[in-house]
Amino acid sequence: MLTMTDVKKVFRTDLVETHALRDFNLQVDEGEFVAVTGPSGSGKTTFLNIAGLLETFEGGTYQLDGQNVSHLNDKQRSQLRNEKIGFIFQSFNLIPDLNLFDNVDVPLRYRGFKSNQRKKRIEESLELVGLANRMKHLPSQLSGGQQQRVAIARALAGNPRFLLADEPTGNLDTKMALSVLELLKEINQQGTTIVMVTHDQHLASQAKRNIYVRDGQVSELTDTPDSSIVAINQTAIG
Amino acid sequence: MSSNQWEIGPIFRALMRNKVGAILIAIQIAVTMTIVVNSIFIILERAQRIERDSGIDEINSFYLTTTGFGDGFDPKSTAFNDLELIRNTPGVLDAIQINAIPVSGGGWSMSFQTEPGEEKETQGAAIYMVDEHATEALDLEVIAGENFLPIDVRWRQPGLRDWPDNVLITKVLAESLFPDIPYQNVVGKTIYISQTEPMIVKGIVDKIQAPWVGWDDLEHTVLTPEITGFESNRYYIRAQAGQRDRIMPIIEEALASSNKQRIIRGMRTVQETRERSYRGDTAMIKILSTTMVILTIVTGLGIVGLASFSVNRRKKQIGTRRALGASQGSIVRYFMIENFLISTVGVILGAVLTVALNMLLVEMFSLNALDWYFVPAGMIVLWMVGQIAVFGPAKKAAKIPPALATRTV
Amino acid sequence: MFTYYLRLALKSIKRNPILSALMITAIGLGIGASMTTVTVNYLMSANPIPHKSEQLFYVQLDSWSQFEPAREPNEPPDQITWTEATNLMQAKKAYRQSAMASTGGVIEPKGQDEKPFMASIRLAFADFFPMFDAPFLYGSGWPDSSDDNRDYVVVISKATNERVFGGENSVGRTIRIVGENFRVVGVLDDWLLVPRFYDVTTGAFDETEEVFMPFYMKQELELTNGGNTNCWKTPEGEGFTAFLQSECVNYQMWVELRNDNEKAQYMDFLNNYVNEQKTLGRFARPLNNRLSNVMQWMENQQVVADDAQIMMWVSFMFLLVCLLNTIGLLLAKFTGKAAEIGLRRAVGASKTDLFIQHLVETACIGVAGGILGLGLAYLGLEGIKSLYGEFVQNLVGLDLTMMVSAILLALISSILAGMYPTWRACNIAPASQLKSQ
Repeated sequence: MLTMTDVKKVFRTDLVETHALRDFNLQVDEGEFVAVTGPSGSGKTTFLNIAGLLETFEGGTYQLDGQNVSHLNDKQRSQLRNEKIGFIFQSFNLIPDLNLFDNVDVPLRYRGFKSNQRKKRIEESLELVGLANRMKHLPSQLSGGQQQRVAIARALAGNPRFLLADEPTGNLDTKMALSVLELLKEINQQGTTIVMVTHDQHLASQAKRNIYVRDGQVSELTDTPDSSIVAINQTAIG
Repeated sequence: MSSNQWEIGPIFRALMRNKVGAILIAIQIAVTMTIVVNSIFIILERAQRIERDSGIDEINSFYLTTTGFGDGFDPKSTAFNDLELIRNTPGVLDAIQINAIPVSGGGWSMSFQTEPGEEKETQGAAIYMVDEHATEALDLEVIAGENFLPIDVRWRQPGLRDWPDNVLITKVLAESLFPDIPYQNVVGKTIYISQTEPMIVKGIVDKIQAPWVGWDDLEHTVLTPEITGFESNRYYIRAQAGQRDRIMPIIEEALASSNKQRIIRGMRTVQETRERSYRGDTAMIKILSTTMVILTIVTGLGIVGLASFSVNRRKKQIGTRRALGASQGSIVRYFMIENFLISTVGVILGAVLTVALNMLLVEMFSLNALDWYFVPAGMIVLWMVGQIAVFGPAKKAAKIPPALATRTV
Repeated sequence: MFTYYLRLALKSIKRNPILSALMITAIGLGIGASMTTVTVNYLMSANPIPHKSEQLFYVQLDSWSQFEPAREPNEPPDQITWTEATNLMQAKKAYRQSAMASTGGVIEPKGQDEKPFMASIRLAFADFFPMFDAPFLYGSGWPDSSDDNRDYVVVISKATNERVFGGENSVGRTIRIVGENFRVVGVLDDWLLVPRFYDVTTGAFDETEEVFMPFYMKQELELTNGGNTNCWKTPEGEGFTAFLQSECVNYQMWVELRNDNEKAQYMDFLNNYVNEQKTLGRFARPLNNRLSNVMQWMENQQVVADDAQIMMWVSFMFLLVCLLNTIGLLLAKFTGKAAEIGLRRAVGASKTDLFIQHLVETACIGVAGGILGLGLAYLGLEGIKSLYGEFVQNLVGLDLTMMVSAILLALISSILAGMYPTWRACNIAPASQLKSQ
């Protein structure tokens, strides 16, 4: 599904070069639910951006669903994002001026679906997250958990092969976080590959597979991480 | 590209959530359109007025006035001597004594009618008192009938009230007086001045304007064959091509030295007179054009300013859209369509205001009514102004990286 | 506190230099355009003789043809005939009165080096000078007796006195005009009347005449007609006298009436006069006499040019667009400051505090725009001068009133423009902006 080989990403300013990713290698197979953890500045957001085709990279190769994305232009990358990837953001990123229906509609418009087809998909996905009866509401009229559900509905509406979640519960309280996680698990069970970036070890532990990023490189954790690592992470974040 | 990607519905609904900014721009566009369209209409009308042909050889002609004083001044001999002197000056094509200058603003008009008596329909016309040299000096063509002969020209004393027997009239006046017959047949007809005094139309000239540029019947003109003996005399001189500026001081000097019992004043080219007469129109054109251009720039910059702010405010949203699959083109299109929707409201309101202002101008200042096509043309222009203005900020918006979506601001 | 707000405002203006410049320019342009056109209109419609404009009346008598009015709809002619001018002057029924006419003639200065020149002449009666407060440099107007005696006396303008007498006190000296010798009885000081209300039939913004001469000199010396002569009927007979006695109108008549009572009495007199004339077979139209005071007459004669009015309305719309622009930009700017406002609210600033803070900011922009507008108005008036030429010289001065009004207009309009954005900004809830979003 997703294969990164020796991917490099360097941020340059006038004074310094920062290697955000160095020889980053990762393979995610179809149907996996992968949690990516790591301290702040470790490169996990950069990884997410590259995986989601939001940023370009300097070296190595990245194959998404069997397609090499290294040399795609902006337009092709936009199209690929739209078709293959669903995004879930920490701060939900709903468009405040649009109601739930129009928010979920956004990626479908870019896909170019017909209007009745879009309507059906929007209703189905809002149904899935349990908000079908509030389609005409604005995001500001919803709680944080509900907003994130709308964001998930939006991510799913286009039927992506692959869901990228960036700290999906970061802005939510524990109860809401858990319900969102349950929703993600359910979606994963129905076959959608999920990669979730988080600093929350407890949340990560719910995923089938955990990856730990440090200094722009992957160190895979097959077992449940021990408490010492959790402690390190939390100090790094704090 | 599918029409779904145009997002008109969602853009419109999003706009309705931020009405104030959009309404402000729409009103600006509407008022700008109102001013621009009405200004252009006035400008074109004025330009047309200015471009009207006076029928005379303006470029090569000039005129001056002499006023006699003192007991020894004899108007009659002065006039004949002056004309002879001027006509014999090298560089002069021809010259006449005339009571008024076309397009100058001052002159003499009378009413003419085709039947004698009170309460008959009349046509006003300007009167130029000239001799048989008028056709050459004023660059007129006698298109029917005949020019004056020297024998037709009489001497007109001050205080004389009657009129010469033969006159030349313009084609336009001939057609106004006798609308039912071709102008050629007007030759030989009798017309009446001062209600009862008959005159015979000896010939028809092509075209010469009356002195008053604001007058509706600008081409209603009658030439009467007479040389006047007033204290003040006006001479109209047509120079040979390119000789005007050279001979002006020569003639002034020659006249001044030939007779000390008078002053020479008001020597001016017809060109300058024309500029003076139309100065109000020229000024209006320049002022309205400047206003229009500055206003359009202000409105354009206002759109740029507001759009830039709106882009800044929506950075995150734009990043998110990019992440969700919007291409750069889609983002540009989003802002262009948004602006188009606002402009549409603006130009529709503008169309109403434009017509309303025009009606007001017609009512209060008796301007002409706007031709219908000015309105759609104005709408298109303002649409384009909006689109051009928003293109910059829209391009900037498209440059916002999709990775902004994952950044916690 | 105010200086603190002022400092905040200047900081905020500096933070968005382009945006601030755009707003100041927009207000400046709007104010500049408006002030330019308002100045022209204001001067065109100025009351030239404020302290007695209500007591001076222009006389109109409907002597026109029975078949049509002099001007639609049923307006009496704007001038009177020689017959009426002399009859009304003979009757002397008003507190002061002067019939008048314009003419021209050649002045021959005595010195050999000074050439003869053409001068504009106003024919008037002795009352003309006190009635219109003509300012004298030397001497005075002629006595009443000179009118009927047809004395060869003149009052000359300051400029004429300079030209003919080198600026000396010329009272009592002789001046040769239209081939006759006149005695100078008075020299006027500079006399600028905008508009030159006593005769607007030729040009409302012409200068006052160079020579003033007793009215009956018209007949005595057979002086030519200046201004407009309109006739509905051809003079009966030949010669100058026939023309004077014709139904042609070329004369203006002003009377000074000190109160409503005098006005009513004078109106009665006019009506009686016309009825009397009707028995002589004149005045075929129904009674239609008018007494218009100075400002009514200016209005009737449409002294303010249409183009000037159109331009003024266009410039007001221009100002409106500029203000809408400013409202939009301020709205955008204050919305952008939402976080700062939220923070200030959170640390205890009241709505009033914020309101004043932002109002001070808009006022600063307004004042800057007003000053710019004043500069632009100055340029605009220079532009009008160069476009219209010398005959608008007297119409394009910026006086103190206009300068103060420009700044005030800018201030008021920018504060009005700032009201809504400020109100919106102040209604941001204290905490809403503290959360990251």
